[in-house]
Amino acid sequence: MKRERIKELVSLIHEISPKDRKIKIMNVCGSHEHTITYSGMRSLMPENIELIPGPGCPVCVCSESDVINAIRLSQRDDTILVTYGDMLRVPTKEGSIRSSGRNYKMVSAPHEVLKIAKENPEKNVVFFSIGFETTTAPTAALIEMGLPENVTILTSQKLTPEIMEVLVKDEEVGVDAFIAPGHVSAIVGANAWRIFPEEYGIPTVVAGFEPDNLLLAILRILYQLREGRAELENVYRGVVRPEGNVKAQELMYKYFEKADVNWRGIGLIPKSGLEFRKEYDNINAKKVFNLPEIKEEKVKGCICDKIVLGKAYPNECKLFGKVCTPSNPKGPCMVSMEGACNIWYRFGR
Amino acid sequence: MCVGVPMKVVEIDYPMAVAEAKGVKRQINLMLLPEDEVKVGDYVMVHVGNAIEVIDEKEAEEIWKVLDEVMAALEEREDF
Repeated sequence: MKRERIKELVSLIHEISPKDRKIKIMNVCGSHEHTITYSGMRSLMPENIELIPGPGCPVCVCSESDVINAIRLSQRDDTILVTYGDMLRVPTKEGSIRSSGRNYKMVSAPHEVLKIAKENPEKNVVFFSIGFETTTAPTAALIEMGLPENVTILTSQKLTPEIMEVLVKDEEVGVDAFIAPGHVSAIVGANAWRIFPEEYGIPTVVAGFEPDNLLLAILRILYQLREGRAELENVYRGVVRPEGNVKAQELMYKYFEKADVNWRGIGLIPKSGLEFRKEYDNINAKKVFNLPEIKEEKVKGCICDKIVLGKAYPNECKLFGKVCTPSNPKGPCMVSMEGACNIWYRFGR
Repeated sequence: MCVGVPMKVVEIDYPMAVAEAKGVKRQINLMLLPEDEVKVGDYVMVHVGNAIEVIDEKEAEEIWKVLDEVMAALEEREDF
């Protein structure tokens, strides 16, 4: 049944796809890239359609300065650094949390921090919270529950619609359409992407993670392009509401506000992330520990910055698959299972 | 880290709850949903231990089908 539907969608895509020009469709979600790559979707597309991964991996764009500060915090005797497993192997000029850190613990949910804090009342417990809206809202939920006195938070949070707007303005990328990330959209709402069709004339479709759902999104995009329309559509209605999760948004902006933040390899982007509001200095690890902004050092030969922005594919990097592999990552895009290099290495393109 | 997993809520002590998927139970946080919007037996989309949206059972099953395929594919490639 499913196979039939996929066949039908692919044949429709071939039928209606404009033949006279190249079309670049960007996804901005590691899980979308995952589905596209492991299902071999690129090989099913007409030749002129390019499915390109954009900034869908929060681990990959987490600033080196924030990671180094996390490593240094974990080296203190009085502190336990707590973060997601994906962050432990992110390489920096001072090593990774795993290789250079001393006191660190891995969690898979922010609320696990509470247990660690309770078991270690004599330690400072610092939660290194990184990610897009899907992890920022859970961090806000943790704070809302009431933090024990020994817990502070080191934030490195990024905003998805904001980085997409940077991409739209970059002629080198030349995006024709966006597949908007399903679960980020569950938080921010499908309406958060309205700006792309309405202000930039870019068809945008919110999609889920099943291959047939992604194919449907591509088909909807092609219909729009063929008819010269640019609209917002949502083919993941079972999970994504137009207004999103309002309570999650309220909690996020209760504790955080938009700020200029560093994207690894890319640099400072105005209003592209979230930092604590001033009234929460007491739980902001950057303030409590007076953490410095450390100058980033690029990994020689690594083109992760270009890959994150959709300007190059992983296999265009000289390091890819040779000296840079998932078991020995040189650049951040190879570390996370959501990184384009990691996904391409594991599944081929 | 960013992968969303549908789970069935089996116990609630708001804001904490216990949810189940594939026979595995896990403590989750419901703080991102208003207390009156989620009840025992509901399916929720869970991200890093937090329910971010209530979804229907059919949607949950569809998503699990994909996750199963992904996991099977991952198991075949144990080289990372």
